Amino acid sequence: MAGGNISNFDPYTTTSYTTVDHGLAIYDTLFALDSNLAPQPQMVGKWGISDDKTTYTFELRDGLGFHDGSPVTAADCVASIRRWFETSGGQLVKARAKDVSKKDDKTFTITLREPLELLVDQMAESVDYLLFVMREKDADRPPTEAVKTHFGSGPYKFNQDLFRPGARIVYDPNEKYVPRKEPPSGLAGGKIVRIDRVIKEAISEQTAVSALEAGEIDFVALPPANLLPVIESNSNLVLEDLHKSGDDYLLRMNWLHKPFDNVKARQAVLHLIDQEAFLRVINPDSRYNRPIISLFGANTPYTRDTSTGWYKKGGDSEKAKQLFREAGYSGEKVVILQPTDWLPGSNLAQLLAATLSKIGINAELAPSSWAGLSARRSKKNAVEDGGWNIYITSVSDLSCGYPLSSAWMSMNGEYYGWPKNDEYETLRAQWANVTFEERKTLASKMQQIWWDTASSVFLGQSIQPIARRKTLTGLISFPALLPLWNMQKS
Amino acid sequence: MGTYILRRLISAVAVMMVVGIFVFLLLRLAPGDPATMMAGDMATQQMIDGIREQLGLNEPLPTQFVHWALGVLSGNIGNSIFAGQPVLQLISQRVEPTISLSVLTTILSVAIGIVFGTFAAWRAGGFVDRTLTAFSALGYSVPVFVTSYFLVYAFAIKARWLPVQGYVSIDHGFGPWFVQLILPTVALSLSYIAFIARITRASMLEVLSEDYMRTAAAKGASTYSMLFHHALKNASAPILTAIGISLAYLIGGVVITETVFNIPGVGRLVVDAINNRDYPVIQGVLILVSGLYVLINLAVDLAYTLVDPRIRY
Repeated sequence: MAGGNISNFDPYTTTSYTTVDHGLAIYDTLFALDSNLAPQPQMVGKWGISDDKTTYTFELRDGLGFHDGSPVTAADCVASIRRWFETSGGQLVKARAKDVSKKDDKTFTITLREPLELLVDQMAESVDYLLFVMREKDADRPPTEAVKTHFGSGPYKFNQDLFRPGARIVYDPNEKYVPRKEPPSGLAGGKIVRIDRVIKEAISEQTAVSALEAGEIDFVALPPANLLPVIESNSNLVLEDLHKSGDDYLLRMNWLHKPFDNVKARQAVLHLIDQEAFLRVINPDSRYNRPIISLFGANTPYTRDTSTGWYKKGGDSEKAKQLFREAGYSGEKVVILQPTDWLPGSNLAQLLAATLSKIGINAELAPSSWAGLSARRSKKNAVEDGGWNIYITSVSDLSCGYPLSSAWMSMNGEYYGWPKNDEYETLRAQWANVTFEERKTLASKMQQIWWDTASSVFLGQSIQPIARRKTLTGLISFPALLPLWNMQKS
Repeated sequence: MGTYILRRLISAVAVMMVVGIFVFLLLRLAPGDPATMMAGDMATQQMIDGIREQLGLNEPLPTQFVHWALGVLSGNIGNSIFAGQPVLQLISQRVEPTISLSVLTTILSVAIGIVFGTFAAWRAGGFVDRTLTAFSALGYSVPVFVTSYFLVYAFAIKARWLPVQGYVSIDHGFGPWFVQLILPTVALSLSYIAFIARITRASMLEVLSEDYMRTAAAKGASTYSMLFHHALKNASAPILTAIGISLAYLIGGVVITETVFNIPGVGRLVVDAINNRDYPVIQGVLILVSGLYVLINLAVDLAYTLVDPRIRY
């Protein structure tokens, strides 16, 4: 398989998908989302809630063991939950939790200060930091200190001898793994390994497609857009929308400095962006592109079009000019951070600069590596002192359904661009306490504020198909992530 | 001679130290750091700051430098921030493919380049010479990655004669090792063949016009003897210099070739380290490479004495 370049193996210290995929292979989770994104027990056998809805009791199912031979105990789970608390994924539960403690070797409890409707949803959440169960001695490390060992209790074992950092990762089946009886569904259900060995190689995309054609590898996670027709024309290969979801591209504006400290200027950008045109620079084939008109993404249970009735396809430069005028724009420089080592982001930044220049905005590109961009975007300085006005990023569509875990969906003045809106934050805070149906109503209200204040502007969604040889089947479909169980090779 | 070699070896250490200091400062002054890359795009500033503190990156630059320099002086060039393994171990895991590719490329480039250049000089203005000129233009102007992808398409995907990518250790047998390296070696060699052939041609043309070559011809020396015993030996000094320069430049070509052909060598190790801002790995590799450059130059200088007895140190 192409895609073996993981720079950080500890899924509690990064949100990188490749690291989470590694976590899915070697670790197991207490709960997991099924193909309908509903939480299902995974390592947990039985669980219950007290009458006052403040104490949750979880019992581990039988047969769970780490790859070093030690059994999985409640103490490992408690330590892992505490480590998860320190990540953004666990912040909500941490804020409500009074106590997390072991009852016996197989049982532990979470006691809350007040009921939390979303507790199990949060424990199953797969957006950024998943709640992977590690050995107690590994989980006791702070999440800022990466775990360097690879002993989980998941369906695959990490092969240390064949591992070449930056080049190759090898997974062997965990013969002692006891899968659940239910059929596999998303990240839930029975995790049955049907492959003798999985080798992930860090191959450049172009070479990976050539190797796929020649039958040297079986799977390419990110086939480049310009080679999709080549793959489609080969009868031995399959292009598949495995993730049933895509990457949502968005531009974030800096609310602290001119011109985007003014809502009219931000709205001007919202009106200016023609998502179809922007998506073409990512993939010229429109079959893989989809516009987004909802804060909650293109395909989540909360996707809606509140406050976007005016929207057709964007690209209204006259309206944008008018709004910039009303915002009092007077020719100040607009610095767009351009990540030159991330092709889609780099191309989008160039198109954005050209689009803004066309309507008389003094747009200037600031090219750098993504590492450089990451460093600069954290600066709140004025543009003249090394600050910035706009940067482009992408998020998984799945993350759009999790406004509490997704830092980019906050408007509390803490995430890059530092948007702030108290009314929105009040609504966001209610998210954890209401039912699924009530969250839909909440989503409409949040959507309206987000869109009216133009917190960020979506550039559209690009679907990334995977490429595989026809002989590789049974791959699990799940947004953004790639579980390795269930697949088989004939 | 012994004193000369000792002096050059001491200068190698000095060069490595200067490179080390330069690389240390360059990396720290460049934007971005390992903590940012480690944490991922969705991490909060608080998380990044925590990792930075854990890695000691929030210490003052002089303190970081002293820690690093003391480690290097005691023979420890550090551990990779990401892999957690000693840098020397990482390099040792990756060095075999790079040496294999470099040695095969050098052998092929020198063998073909010298023969090609010699015949082009012998028949200056003729078919071989014109072919060399055209080949040189191509060799210089076509980037390695273009040649690589063309070779892959023709010989791996279409003809199915050779593998597209990957590396097999020589421990698994000479045959599989050699077959795996044919395409990368040919792709990487073309520009070096062109370079060495051009230098050989120019140097040989000069020597072939010397009086002693006319004397050799008048004495009835065979063409082979004239070209390879008399002329080539006297034309060797510039050719050796060209080979030395080629070896030094090889590391740049190796990076691209290793990437295109998925060869897990030192070139890719350092590129990944740069992308991740893995400071110890970048510093370690560059220090060792700078030492290697000095040794290559020393070897070339010493080789002059073998081909030209007039040169003494």
